[in-house]
Amino acid sequence: MKDNLRTCVAWLRSKGATYADCRYVRREVESIQVTDQTVESLSRNLDVGVGIRVLANGAWGFAATAELTPASLRKTANLALQIAKASAIVKHEPVRLAEQEVFVDRYRSHCAIDPFTVSSDKKTGLLLQVTELLKKSKLVKTAEASMEFYKTNKIFVSTEWAEIEQEIIESGSGYQAVAFDGKEAQTRSYPNSHRGGVATLGWEYIESLDLLSHAERVREEAVALLKALPCPEQETSVIICAPQMALQVHESCGHPIELDRVLGTEISLAGGSFLTVDKLGAFQYGSKIVNLTADATLPGGLGTFGYDDEGVKAQRTPIVEQGRFVGYLTSRETAPVINQRSNGTMRADGFNRMPLIRMTNVSLEPGEWKLDELIKDTRSGVFLDLNKSWSIDDKRLNFQFGVEAAWEIKNGKLGQMYKNTVYTGMTPRFWNSCDAICDRDHWVVWGTPNCGKGEPMQTAHTGHGAAPSRFRNVKVGVKS
Amino acid sequence: MIGKTKLFKKLEAILANSPADATEIVYIGEEAGLTRYANSMIHQNVYEDNRRIIFRAVVGKRIGVASTNSLVDADLKKALLDAIEIAKAQRENRHFPGLPKPAKYRKLNSFDKATAQCSPMKRAQIVKRVINEATKKGLTMAGALATSGSEIAVLNSNGLRGYHPTSSASINMIAMSETSSGYASVMARRVADIDAVALAKVAVEKCLKSRNPISLEPGDYEVILEPAAISEMFEWLNFIGFGSKGFQQGTSFLANRIGRKLTSEKVTIFDSAYERGVVGVPFDFEGVPRKKVMLIDKGVAKGVVWDRLSAVKGKTKSTGHALTASDSAEGAISLNLSMAGGKVPRAKMISAVKRGILVTRFHYINGYIDTRNSVLTGMTRDGTFLIENGEIVAGIKNLRFTDSFLRAFKSTIAVSKETELMSSWWSSVGCISVPTVHLGSFKFSGKTDF
Repeated sequence: MKDNLRTCVAWLRSKGATYADCRYVRREVESIQVTDQTVESLSRNLDVGVGIRVLANGAWGFAATAELTPASLRKTANLALQIAKASAIVKHEPVRLAEQEVFVDRYRSHCAIDPFTVSSDKKTGLLLQVTELLKKSKLVKTAEASMEFYKTNKIFVSTEWAEIEQEIIESGSGYQAVAFDGKEAQTRSYPNSHRGGVATLGWEYIESLDLLSHAERVREEAVALLKALPCPEQETSVIICAPQMALQVHESCGHPIELDRVLGTEISLAGGSFLTVDKLGAFQYGSKIVNLTADATLPGGLGTFGYDDEGVKAQRTPIVEQGRFVGYLTSRETAPVINQRSNGTMRADGFNRMPLIRMTNVSLEPGEWKLDELIKDTRSGVFLDLNKSWSIDDKRLNFQFGVEAAWEIKNGKLGQMYKNTVYTGMTPRFWNSCDAICDRDHWVVWGTPNCGKGEPMQTAHTGHGAAPSRFRNVKVGVKS
Repeated sequence: MIGKTKLFKKLEAILANSPADATEIVYIGEEAGLTRYANSMIHQNVYEDNRRIIFRAVVGKRIGVASTNSLVDADLKKALLDAIEIAKAQRENRHFPGLPKPAKYRKLNSFDKATAQCSPMKRAQIVKRVINEATKKGLTMAGALATSGSEIAVLNSNGLRGYHPTSSASINMIAMSETSSGYASVMARRVADIDAVALAKVAVEKCLKSRNPISLEPGDYEVILEPAAISEMFEWLNFIGFGSKGFQQGTSFLANRIGRKLTSEKVTIFDSAYERGVVGVPFDFEGVPRKKVMLIDKGVAKGVVWDRLSAVKGKTKSTGHALTASDSAEGAISLNLSMAGGKVPRAKMISAVKRGILVTRFHYINGYIDTRNSVLTGMTRDGTFLIENGEIVAGIKNLRFTDSFLRAFKSTIAVSKETELMSSWWSSVGCISVPTVHLGSFKFSGKTDF
């Protein structure tokens, strides 16, 4: 295949392309979904193809095919070239790419146990044990447990003579209990809501989740939520659990630092950003204890890789230092706008999508608190646990999150449970009210496997290190 | 596009030699082009030729699913054997009713060759005309124009054969000034049916009218929700309320409420692939004919959509709304959601509002807050206006709403005669068709700075 890609870029070079890259991507996915005591779905999916990106007449063209014959690749390369020429009839300045070191390399993500070598029976057996535990209450109407495994092999070849091969293995699992008493329905999950936990690791990650030991608590909390009261509307202190902090970082920091959004090229779907380029280095994004980084080299992070889909090496970039906004996620096309080189964040969702700036592992660096000490230190407030809903405006300012469960904090102790709790705020105001972050013992890199962006829609895998954190004067319990 | 004859010939050969007790093959193929523009220039312009071939192998009551995007015979055979291997390693699914029998499908004309084969140059020329409308007024334009042709085929070892081609074209656009933006969008089966320049004029007018927006305090307001706003709400209502899974789990706002009046009688919501102009397929992804399903009829909860597996558990019959076998755990889902038009011409709706808000579209709606009560939250975007004494008097900085759909739609004052086709994430096989809606009460819970 590499030879075919080399032939392709050589042909594009001969046809006057300013730049071109060809990406072969083979992605294998195994998914298992168990509902109650039934394996609802056990499937394997294989996607293979080549995406060709061409810069000609100062504009981009992209075409992708699942036919891997030399003739099909040539046809697709020509189509990408023609598309670039069509784009050029509606352009201003020609696209300029930042200089880039050329790599010829191989990368393989860390994986101790290849999940594709573990038997289906072992996987479904574990999930069925989980759902059996979850169903031990009559009020648990549905117990669901799932696993997903991804193996992605890529070959990247460019007209600049880059040749990079990568293999990335990702594993994930999670479960939820849905309690229903005929009127009220409530859900609790482990280790995270929506799709559980996902990491760039092998089967060893599933083992580390210790799925069975949390099932009883999840079941009992789902049932308890049926009788819980709604959280009273108030402005108070909140302590947010680590997985919800990861999503808070994703939505209110990760997206607004994508330089393509900032420059307006994602307006039509995802929107823009309040972090305009005049704010770089000058804007107090958060309080002095807030430090955020984008690190594609973080072991096990779901945004970890060797090279991005422009052939830029994975790297760690400071985003917020002592509360001050200092860095964007960039690409070779956008970085020159702020006189920088790309920091390697361009990724595509498969062979058939053009790479976009995507979060790597955008993380809130750990602080110094222990969680029990932090709760003890809080006279009055609410503890918020696991995401249930998420919404934020198109410049990433006004957000509202809902959580699966919340607990009152009164005189340094957790009190009564609340259901359907939401909290809302404005991004800079919220982050400037952060006065405590828990330490590295509480810090976990959470995977977000469902980050949507772009047209056609692309779903990216991103990671977010976070620990429980406290924020002051936050509005909770919005009435509907 | 491969075509029915060639496609069946290839897949029949694989099916005929399957050693499984029963076998199903679903083919979903698409050739799609999309031209994206921002800052009044084309910045992304893409084409893909891709497909997915999904094998469901049945061994006794055990089911295995595997898929590939390769049409090479060896790869197809391997995917089938993978599905059989998975089935053999599976547990029995006692609810599995077997594969469906052959059925007759209604004829649907939903394919236009010119749309499926729309060239990148033609798309670029349309985009150029759209951008010109903004440039003339000193504005910039951003958006996307998509054209595609799709083929869906379902074959099973019971002799069931379904094939249906569709085409789809959609455009969205945002005209932008320093302080405002205006949105317009539409979808159609034929790219020739899209009047992109007329839409651009709408987006430009909204942008100009909402310049220097005022800040309005959140609260309970009378609203006019335009089709883009309604369709964004409906995408979420589909997830949380109209499918079989939420209904069976009890999380749906329709669970245990069938037959009860839940909204104003002016509200009728249904799923139908057979309405005039819609993009739809006459069968689902296991080959069962799609039925028209009433979800809410004149305000009364009527039902949800079903596939064969969920129907067994729900002691009912499939309505022809199955997803593919690899997504079967999600239950059945509507792909052609429609709200019936009412009696009022859209042009007269604003004049009926004494003081209220016109919402062009919403952004980032989420419906998981309290699904039993259909509570949604989201932001307004790209054209939010204050109406006073029947006239638009100012643009408004964007607001967050948090409200129950059922509560808000109890207050429906009017529904427009006209409905519009809106694209969604499932637009290659379906769409949403909705009117403009006038509500007497809609709760805004917050606001933003722009």
